[in-house]
Amino acid sequence: MSFLSKQTVLDEFKKAKESKTKEWRDNLPTWCPGCGHFTGLHGLYEAAERLNIPPKDFVVVSGIGCSGRFPFFIKGFGLHGLHGRAIPIATGIKVASPDLTVVVVGGDGDGVGIGGGHFPHAARSNFNLTYILLDNSIYGLTKGQISPTSPMGMKSGTSPYGNIARPLNPTTLALAYGATFVARTFSRERDMVSELITKAIQHKGFSFIHDLSPCVVFNKVVTYDSVNDASAMLPEGHDILDRSKAMTLAESTEPIYQGLFFREEVPSFDDHAKQVRDGLKD
Amino acid sequence: MKYSEITIRFCGIAGDGIVASGKILAGACANIGLHVMVNNIYSAEIRGLGKSSATIRFSTEKLYSMGDGLDLLVGMMSKESIIDLRDVKVGGNVIYDTSTIGDVAEEDSLASHITPEIQGHGLPIKKLANEATGTNQGKNLVAIGAICYFYSLPPEMFIDQIRSVFAHKEEHIIDINIKAFNLGYEYFRENYPLNNQFEIDKRSEPRALTSGNDAIAKGAIDCGLKFFAGYPITPATKIMEIAAKELPKLGGWTLQMEDEIAAIGAVLGAWFAGKRAMTATSGPGLSLMSEMINMSVMAEIPTIIVNVQRGGPSTGLPTKVEQGDLNIALYGGAGDSPRVVMAPTNSEECYSGIQLAFDIAEKYQTPVIFLSDLFLGQRTETVTIKENIDRNRCTRKKPTPEQLENFQRYQITDDGVSPLIVPGEPGAVYSTTGLEHSVTGNPNYEEDVHSMMTAKRFRKFESMVEDLPEADILGEETADIGIAGWGSTIGSILEGMEIAKKQGVKTKLIKSIMIHPQHEDSFRKFFASCKKIIVPEMNYQGQYAALLKSRYGIKPIEIHIPSVNPVSPLKIAQKIMETSSELSQ
Repeated sequence: MSFLSKQTVLDEFKKAKESKTKEWRDNLPTWCPGCGHFTGLHGLYEAAERLNIPPKDFVVVSGIGCSGRFPFFIKGFGLHGLHGRAIPIATGIKVASPDLTVVVVGGDGDGVGIGGGHFPHAARSNFNLTYILLDNSIYGLTKGQISPTSPMGMKSGTSPYGNIARPLNPTTLALAYGATFVARTFSRERDMVSELITKAIQHKGFSFIHDLSPCVVFNKVVTYDSVNDASAMLPEGHDILDRSKAMTLAESTEPIYQGLFFREEVPSFDDHAKQVRDGLKD
Repeated sequence: MKYSEITIRFCGIAGDGIVASGKILAGACANIGLHVMVNNIYSAEIRGLGKSSATIRFSTEKLYSMGDGLDLLVGMMSKESIIDLRDVKVGGNVIYDTSTIGDVAEEDSLASHITPEIQGHGLPIKKLANEATGTNQGKNLVAIGAICYFYSLPPEMFIDQIRSVFAHKEEHIIDINIKAFNLGYEYFRENYPLNNQFEIDKRSEPRALTSGNDAIAKGAIDCGLKFFAGYPITPATKIMEIAAKELPKLGGWTLQMEDEIAAIGAVLGAWFAGKRAMTATSGPGLSLMSEMINMSVMAEIPTIIVNVQRGGPSTGLPTKVEQGDLNIALYGGAGDSPRVVMAPTNSEECYSGIQLAFDIAEKYQTPVIFLSDLFLGQRTETVTIKENIDRNRCTRKKPTPEQLENFQRYQITDDGVSPLIVPGEPGAVYSTTGLEHSVTGNPNYEEDVHSMMTAKRFRKFESMVEDLPEADILGEETADIGIAGWGSTIGSILEGMEIAKKQGVKTKLIKSIMIHPQHEDSFRKFFASCKKIIVPEMNYQGQYAALLKSRYGIKPIEIHIPSVNPVSPLKIAQKIMETSSELSQ
């Protein structure tokens, strides 16, 4: 992937303002040209357009980090919350107002670092939320420090002698936590990102997208090229109901599989809560 | 002998049915129309050898505190009760278990520690319980039977209570418990034919019993609570348990979250979605919530946090009372971060006060920290709950059609309150943030924007004063000694003032459920009319006194009680008497 100049990015977005997704476009993004997050944002615009989600019923909740600014770029209700705490805030919104479409957007530090304690509980409760984790394996907003998904040995301002901890793999975590929809995408593949975000929002229950979204400024180890070279689509005929097979495929680093790993249709939190309330009416 | 007020303590170990004893005695007395207050003290250990006690005070007059001293101590377990003998008044009574004498060494026997100024009454508690139930169960009922006879209380009221407390048990369990009660009653009638009489006004209606925690939960539910998120913590868990049971019936829900940060986060989310929501916690949880309270201030999302204070710092004293969280409630958090702090002084105020908290939070888009404490939260007392509160006194400020046209979520207004819309409502959308922001909500770090927005957030605290209750001034208007207090300590202060009054010393008291903001003029006027000001509170630092000193420039006499038990009214009275004699010198 070649670098786009800032002017090219701005021109593209001005053009896009006239596109079919214009109803969901708001402020121009503030990310660096070439940032993987543009693809995630584009995917969310496309999903909103395809599913025709009225902006008044669309809520995007984020934490802190480069991905934290998502709500300001999307026309809808938005809550740019605290570092690591987007999931509980989104949970409160969704449980209080189940008719809203609530999407959580966050980075790797936000989701499996500081906020790592919230992810398992949202997944196991099967709240009807979509969680998009944009993973660039770096703390970008603070200008380049290792994150919980940085590879071993990676040098950064806070790991001058190399990262000595093993990286977490958000896809396998989601599978282990009991998420009912788990996918991995790569920000170079725009169509795949849009397609899977759309499916995730349609899913009834907790849907998780692990979007590999390289940082073109601060991460010299995990790059478009490095991810691209290792990428492969999930094998044909992969059974999306087989959680343990999905886990094995998700663990692989050579290749890094992409696509829909797992999906099961079980009652969501909303269904369970409704059942309890209905039972109390008698 | 005639009594108009009695204090009884059951003392034993976990598993002795101590709490049930308190419930039965309190329930019977409340049904006769007496005023009752019950305080349970237990250790943080789950079971086994943890000591447990229930103190029940009942009276023909309204009660404000647990008072001082015991009229009767019931030692269900010998050794554990010995230390409580020091709380028995001169001329007071002790019931001890004669069936266990000989089972313990003499130094561990309650009977051998009874001093001549106290009357001991033997009762074969364990033996009679075995006679009734075939096991050690029912010991508490034997003791209650004896007490019923001892103070000439109506036994039929106790039988009713036993039926109600054990309603969920099988019929034969209720029968054997009643049998245990009767055996205790008969034993005392035969062996201690006394002529003690409790003065009962036959016209009194039965009174309702509640705890502060119950009253907060009920108050919140009655004013539209739809969502509760929490994390279990002593002594606040009861509020969450009530919410968990009741909210689904009302179309709402209670979530047990993974920690307190998640709990307050979910509550903020629910308010963002336009629903009345709250959480309840204690000191350690409130500490974790600091950042989210700041988010609530910055994004102007309403929130309600009930903090039932326990001893601190850190994990501290989970089952003991202290008023040590005032500073964190007022100041905990980064930046210039204003929040409303309220502190109810009794169960009635727990009910009405939490409703005011919701109305203020919703109208002024602010966090409200509602500071109860372990003593107030867990004690049971007879109350008259005021249920006819105006539901429309404070409502959310909605945008006009013109405002909606070009919606500014953080529009600058005279009262500091901006129009608020919620997701799902047509007309406009907005995004909010914990970053400093412009009138639209977009992040903005310019100097003039930050100062304008900070001023707006503080301006709300000036405009809300008109919606807040005036401070209460009680006692003798002309008194030279003024007392200022907060929270559950008020009860002990009122009784301390009464003791001083009987000694001929006049005092007055200023109290308010509002800690911040306050109607400052009434405080200024009050302090100006006092020659001496006393500020008693249950913490080491004098946190409320510090607030009053900085706010009103007063130099009070401070009483700091880093207490594990409710404050003794006598202690307050002594300070009043000392102050009075200093004044007359």
